[in-house]
Amino acid sequence: MTKYILKRLLRSLITIAIVFVVVFMLLRFMPLNGYFPDEMIKETDEQTRMAYLRNLGLLDHPIVQLGRFVKNLFKGDLGRSITVYPKVPITTLLAEKIPVTAFLGFWSMLLGIVAGLAMGLMMVRFRDRAGDTLGNGYIMIIRAVPSLLYLFFIQVQISKWFNLPMVYYDDKPLSWLLPIISLALSSIAWYALWLRRFMVDEENQDYVKFATVKGLSKSAVLKKHIFRNAIIPLSAYLPADLLNIISGSLVIETLYAIPGTGGLLTTAIKQQDNNLVQILVLMYAVMSILGVFLGDILLTFVDPRIKLAD
Amino acid sequence: MKNTFKRALAMMLVLCMLLVGFAGCKDNGGEINPEQAIKDAEKILASKEYRDTYKTYFSTSYSSLNYFSTSYATVREIVSNCIDGLVEPDIYGNYVGSMAESWEHNADYTVWTFKIRQGLKWIDHTGAETEYALTAQDFVDGIKYIGDPLNGAYSLRVVRNLIKGLYDYYWGLDDIDCGIDTTTKREDLEARFSEIVGVKALDDYTVEYTLESGAPYFLSLIESSMLLLPIEYDYAMALGEDFGVDNTKMLYCGAYYVSEFKRDKLIKLTANEKYWDAANVSLKTVEYQMIPDGTTSLEMFQRGELDYTSVESEAYQSLQSGEWGDNLIPNEFSFSTNYLWLDFKGANPEFNTFVQNQNFRLALQHAVNRASFGALREPVDPSRLIRNTINAEGAIFNSQGVDYTQLAPLADVTNADYSADPEAARKYMEAAIAELCNADGTIKGVTAGDVDYLPVIKTKVDGKLPVTLIYVGTDDESEIIMAQLFEAMVEQAIGQDYIDVELAFDTSGDFYGTVGGSVDGPFNYDIYWDSLSTGYADPSGILGRITTEGVENVGSYTVPEYDALIEKALAATTFDERLQYFAEAEAFLLKGAYMIPVISSLRGYHMSYEIPFTSPRCLYGNVRFKGLKVATEALTLDEYKILEAAWEANKNAKN
Repeated sequence: MTKYILKRLLRSLITIAIVFVVVFMLLRFMPLNGYFPDEMIKETDEQTRMAYLRNLGLLDHPIVQLGRFVKNLFKGDLGRSITVYPKVPITTLLAEKIPVTAFLGFWSMLLGIVAGLAMGLMMVRFRDRAGDTLGNGYIMIIRAVPSLLYLFFIQVQISKWFNLPMVYYDDKPLSWLLPIISLALSSIAWYALWLRRFMVDEENQDYVKFATVKGLSKSAVLKKHIFRNAIIPLSAYLPADLLNIISGSLVIETLYAIPGTGGLLTTAIKQQDNNLVQILVLMYAVMSILGVFLGDILLTFVDPRIKLAD
Repeated sequence: MKNTFKRALAMMLVLCMLLVGFAGCKDNGGEINPEQAIKDAEKILASKEYRDTYKTYFSTSYSSLNYFSTSYATVREIVSNCIDGLVEPDIYGNYVGSMAESWEHNADYTVWTFKIRQGLKWIDHTGAETEYALTAQDFVDGIKYIGDPLNGAYSLRVVRNLIKGLYDYYWGLDDIDCGIDTTTKREDLEARFSEIVGVKALDDYTVEYTLESGAPYFLSLIESSMLLLPIEYDYAMALGEDFGVDNTKMLYCGAYYVSEFKRDKLIKLTANEKYWDAANVSLKTVEYQMIPDGTTSLEMFQRGELDYTSVESEAYQSLQSGEWGDNLIPNEFSFSTNYLWLDFKGANPEFNTFVQNQNFRLALQHAVNRASFGALREPVDPSRLIRNTINAEGAIFNSQGVDYTQLAPLADVTNADYSADPEAARKYMEAAIAELCNADGTIKGVTAGDVDYLPVIKTKVDGKLPVTLIYVGTDDESEIIMAQLFEAMVEQAIGQDYIDVELAFDTSGDFYGTVGGSVDGPFNYDIYWDSLSTGYADPSGILGRITTEGVENVGSYTVPEYDALIEKALAATTFDERLQYFAEAEAFLLKGAYMIPVISSLRGYHMSYEIPFTSPRCLYGNVRFKGLKVATEALTLDEYKILEAAWEANKNAKN
């Protein structure tokens, strides 16, 4: 197990390093005009723009820039934003934004899991009946209708019906409600859908038939046997979900004016904010690799029959 | 596939726009008697109750508060209210002292001297006075700060070229930084700042600017440019790159200070009790919150959560018949002009031959229906967007108060209706063809071949009529519609037998790098759509940049007559004479259709609890809240019209 973990960690580090270097180099192939808004391009001559970039170290050889970045990273200096938030330290930005996104993300994840599993259970318990149809209807709507439509409806109409704030305020808990629900909608559907599928699969297993023959009630079989086995594959995703709460949602954070990380990477790429892109890519790469890794570890705890080995 | 769909959708809209363009103008209603308006305005103002907090919003992030190193669009609105310049406009737009009590200039406007108010101190983000006194040196230091390339000041061009010696100082430091100059030490050059650069603190409360050339418009530049604001240098240097990253890393000297700064969420401005003119600051608090889209701000305004909202023309129609129909107020002005650039050195031999011919350019000028373009942005009253000139109307006035765009011979262009005679376009084209084509329709001196505008487009031309014109735009949906509208109107007016407009869309995301937009860039277009804005009270801001050798002459035309008039304008001894030459130059360029202005960037409406005309009339800078009154009830359009008429009458009486 220890040997396996060490090997996986080493492989993860190599993967992260490759992802990072590729992104770092790709950014250096972007057009130099991308560092400036249109108004700046029209306002200034090329010589001034080049002086500006040179003073930011952006005209140095990419290898020199990479070396400088890595050196600073080891010193704990994540650098400063270049274009999106000029000169603002990236640590400051992340410290401001991650808690907001993580807070809403955590509660929406919790809501997603609890409501999703409850819905999945209901669908299996009332299979081919009203509860199942209702759950399937919800899943179909969430998956088939463009999310902007219902998200916008919730923001404008539901907020009006229930007299809730249309945007997020950090000091008004009522304003957190709609963003959390909106964030959870798709994960509720996801957990419900997969729990139902895994449980239906388990229902056909011999041990379930055996338990039923033994005379256990249907609900006891569902809870004690089927649910516990069906939850195993789902649990592998929990660490990744937990880590992903800091990545935020571009659409929902824009709709509710949430000052979080959603859309930060997109904006940084659009505006060629190299330092910000590099840190965010590094962060998200670490998160996704760590998420998969921790998911595998968690599996061994949830199901002791699973052993990690090469 | 995506583009094909966009284009199909756009084509349908284009047909509608062409119809709208010919539909005529909305009646603006009758005239209001000035004397009656003043009386009615007084009644309106007396009947209102006022509040001391104003809630508004921002849609684009305020990325930093460093007013020297951030692009204008993102920070100026906050800074205008928190850092005062030397002068400011009063409610009629006349300049009055702000940080300066008085000022004078020499006869040719090259030396400006300002007397600074005494006893003022910088305050911090809690409103408390700091140990730093506000002195003339702070204005000198502002220039010193932007003159150092390492501080990365934005949009330097105008100020750097205007203040004597600043250009040399800036590039001198840059030469040292990049190793071109290895003999001079940086600190030695920095120590010679006051010797090289034309800005000096004559004493603690007198600052003097010496300019490279006469600038009668200097006060308007102080209003428009953040680069002429003061800075507490020791404080800023101690913070280094942290200066302005949030409200706690800033000092303030304006009517307000930033008491709360939640990035991308909330900015709270609190009235500065130590402000030199605190008695005239009406609002105690201004709260900005981030609202990224117009629908949310509109809804929040209707729910009473905001005191202002913009209303796009699309929403106007649905609101007009409802509860808020009386509160829709048209936005007032935009000094930004949208125009068509013609490429005089493009790689398309057909267009290149024709564009040198004035009759062809006039054919294009008459083929462009400005109201149709206006209707794309302002379907309700497109006529208010039409603009034939480069510099905006209402932006620059001579000493008699005559609008620059109404000076002869520019007035002919300003008041022309190029779309009124669509047949003229074809007649001009026929005249051009008679000069440039052989009887068999082949274009003289042009042979069939490829036109390489890659990475945007590569196409073939046959050297015969119809003339191929390649219009290049971005792949933005609204630009696709504009391009298709252009294609439809030009081919309709001139005739498809004479002209064939091909559309090409740049998908790189770097339009100016790929297509043009700067004289350094490639010229991968025959025609494209661009904009320029009158940034201060002088036509040189734009006209000086688009001379034959000008930095903004993206069309690469050569017009010596225009250049000569610009030279005369810059050498003129009086402001009126200067404006006259500029008007002649602009008229020459436009009558020759070297570029084709089409519409202003004005669009939309707003609803508000603000009482208009109670705060400084900022033509070139941003909104200032000083003096602004905010009522407890939303303003109606009728009230607005009365207040506007009263303001107009009072302004005329005062001036």
